[in-house]
Amino acid sequence: MSDLSFWLVQALHGLQYSMLLFLLSVGLTVIFGLLHFVNLAHGALYALGAYISFSLTNWTGSFWAGFFGAPLGVALVGISLYLGLIRQMRKAGPMNQVLVTFGLIFIFLDLCRILWGDIALGVEQPEIFSKTVEFLGVTYPSYRLFVIALGLAVMGGLHLVLSRTQIGAMIRAGVDNDQMAACLGINVEQLFFFVFCVGCALAGIAGAVAAPILSVSPEMGTSILIPTLIVVVIGGLGSLPGAILGSLLVGFIQTIGAVVAPQLASILVYALLAGVLILKPSGLLPARS
Amino acid sequence: MFQQTPLKLATLALIILGLLLYAILGGYFARELVIEVAVLAILAMSLDMVAGYGGMVSLCHGAIFGLGAYMYAIVNVLGEGSPISGTLAALAVSGLFGLLVGAITSRTHGIYFIMTTLAFGQMAYVLIFDASSLGGDDGMWGLGRGDLSGLGINLEDSLQFAILCLLCVPLSYAVLSGVLRSGFGRSLVGIRENEGRMRALGITIWKIKAIGFALSGTVAGLAGVLAAQHTMFVSPELMTWTVSGEVLVVVILGGLGTLIGPAVGAVLLIFLKHALSSFTDYWHIVIGVLLILVVMSGGRGVYGGLELFWERRRNSLNKQEV
Amino acid sequence: MLEVVRLCKAFGSLVVTDNVSLKLEPGERRVILGPNGAGKTTLFNLLVGELKPSEGKIHLSGADLTPLSIEARARMGLARSYQKNNLFNGLTIRENLELAGARALGLSRHLLRDTHRDPRLRDLVEEVAEQVGLTSRLEETVEHSSYGNRRQLEVGLALAMRPKVLLMDEPTSGVGPGMIQAFHELLHSLSRDLTILIVEHDMDLAFDVADRITVLNYGKVVFEGTPEETRASELVQEIYLGGWDTDA
Repeated sequence: MSDLSFWLVQALHGLQYSMLLFLLSVGLTVIFGLLHFVNLAHGALYALGAYISFSLTNWTGSFWAGFFGAPLGVALVGISLYLGLIRQMRKAGPMNQVLVTFGLIFIFLDLCRILWGDIALGVEQPEIFSKTVEFLGVTYPSYRLFVIALGLAVMGGLHLVLSRTQIGAMIRAGVDNDQMAACLGINVEQLFFFVFCVGCALAGIAGAVAAPILSVSPEMGTSILIPTLIVVVIGGLGSLPGAILGSLLVGFIQTIGAVVAPQLASILVYALLAGVLILKPSGLLPARS
Repeated sequence: MFQQTPLKLATLALIILGLLLYAILGGYFARELVIEVAVLAILAMSLDMVAGYGGMVSLCHGAIFGLGAYMYAIVNVLGEGSPISGTLAALAVSGLFGLLVGAITSRTHGIYFIMTTLAFGQMAYVLIFDASSLGGDDGMWGLGRGDLSGLGINLEDSLQFAILCLLCVPLSYAVLSGVLRSGFGRSLVGIRENEGRMRALGITIWKIKAIGFALSGTVAGLAGVLAAQHTMFVSPELMTWTVSGEVLVVVILGGLGTLIGPAVGAVLLIFLKHALSSFTDYWHIVIGVLLILVVMSGGRGVYGGLELFWERRRNSLNKQEV
Repeated sequence: MLEVVRLCKAFGSLVVTDNVSLKLEPGERRVILGPNGAGKTTLFNLLVGELKPSEGKIHLSGADLTPLSIEARARMGLARSYQKNNLFNGLTIRENLELAGARALGLSRHLLRDTHRDPRLRDLVEEVAEQVGLTSRLEETVEHSSYGNRRQLEVGLALAMRPKVLLMDEPTSGVGPGMIQAFHELLHSLSRDLTILIVEHDMDLAFDVADRITVLNYGKVVFEGTPEETRASELVQEIYLGGWDTDA
């Protein structure tokens, strides 16, 4: 492969990883920004989504059953979590939220192990996207292009919803000032609940989509959590543009960096995180002015 | 504020004596458990100083612990230095790391603070993990324990090493409680209670936080040295963020802001883990549920709840006397 | 003792403090009066270090305070009390006073000595508690104390710093009539080693306690004089909208 095509492939890898991070981080950032809730279990929900899609795919023989079933399943779990735990813990301080969701990580970890075992599982790519595609002198798996396209579609869709719809306006208002929004008659509780479930569903989709690429294992939740948190914080809590920028930054630094200068890349991401936290805690593209 | 109470001291004595008896009477495996408890207790107490008393919830203490272990390994194995010099180097490096984190994070609060400590912990982890000279994922072997043969003590013997670790627990408690009772320690608590007012009283906030974190880091580093000497092996596993999370869990289970509570939490967690794992592979669920229950019921922890009960009983008795 | 030289503070184009100059002699009791919006709070915050001035200087016994941080000014001997109680709510009244006193006695830096047992600190705490009438309540937690007691502790914390200059922001704010009298007495009882500047609404306190009164309006000093002169001034009367309002 020529130099240019090598870098093109790397860029596509970076973009694909960014899209995965985006799907996870956008749910988390709106939950953070709106509910002011630190949900460390978000990664566990992603893993759950991957496992559910594995089961559904196996059971029905179709990837798409998993693809549509996983977000539904995870959203259902999200509903019970919200009603049972999250709603109460919303007002508790960050430390308690960290602890409770840490507890959830433990619980989900073992639940997945009980239900699906310890060994890493694999999911087949769907028929439609099982071939490679050739363009601009490179050969690239069409499934990964699908992931990129999906990410971009979600980006566009969310942008439309947030900027053009009533509910989007309410969400933005709630992120900006939830008490004032409530005073204006916005049913903030219902909004929180809705947003939380959508966030969980997005985590489920991310898991279903990641399953054919990464292997499905109990640790996949904890390993994706840190990059997701980094994206959310760097971008800005509650900010969609922030989640986009953050996932692109982290995705590209990690992917290209792994090829160019691995040690530096990892440290660079954490240094960027620390820098943002100290100098501009509201993030690079903050939601609130 | 920290107060040295009979209840705390009695609990400390009970823990040490109980573990000592268990180590003496139990076999090799009992001593292994005792060493694990001692190491975790020291680490958890060090975290309580900054998190419970200082109000700075750190998610990088696992990394500091690991740094201490690795520093010992580097000096002892790569540098072929004595265990004493390895220990001193470990304490210095972990203290310095703590100092830096405390200073740099002094203006951040809440979730941002927690995440910044996480970031620094991860930076340390990644540095160690990627360093090929340190063995990478495989870690380093061949660490040695101290040589106290001049005193007639053989640290290669598991019972004697266990006793050494046990002795380090009240030693760490004494150092930490001494610091917390001092003017400096009280300033740390004051900052937790009302940072703005402390500033108006003339206190330089970042200095207190940095020094507090440094002292806490040094004790965490001691735990790291003991852990390294125990297994005579170090690996990056010691430094993952989940380790930091687990130390925080231990602190909460025992009692945040009680200093001895975390030691109780360490005893609880290690023995609970051991008991559970002997009949199920899935003890994580139990710990997770327990943690959630403790937090949802007010977060005082086992020892914290006991202390509160004790205080209330004492107050009501005093009122009766009057 | 405390000198303010042509102090200005503007927020964008809004000038809140306009060329304010003051000079306090050692031991003086100065009250800053003025209607709402006159810029009293901003002036106070400039003196204390919460705000940096756009122009002008602040001197304490000749030393330039202007570039110094809040904590540095406190270490130079400037103590302040807050209008809204800003205490260590989870701690006892004794522990609150100990924090302030330890700083004053230089004990805050000690790493291993138990300050609780230090006799000098004990004495200081008990002295200040006596001054502000909290002796019987030292072991109470602030959370469980009445508003009035907390107001007393507010002053107590500042006094426990053993300052040279005491800046008080509406010390009797929200305090009931019974306790206001106690405050008057407390202020009278304070030693003349201490220079005091009070920002106040309450005219009675001003006339009772002040050696000199400075009146602000629209960020400017419009009048300065003794209480008698202030009472007689038509300008000041007008600012306060037609006559004196001297309820108890």
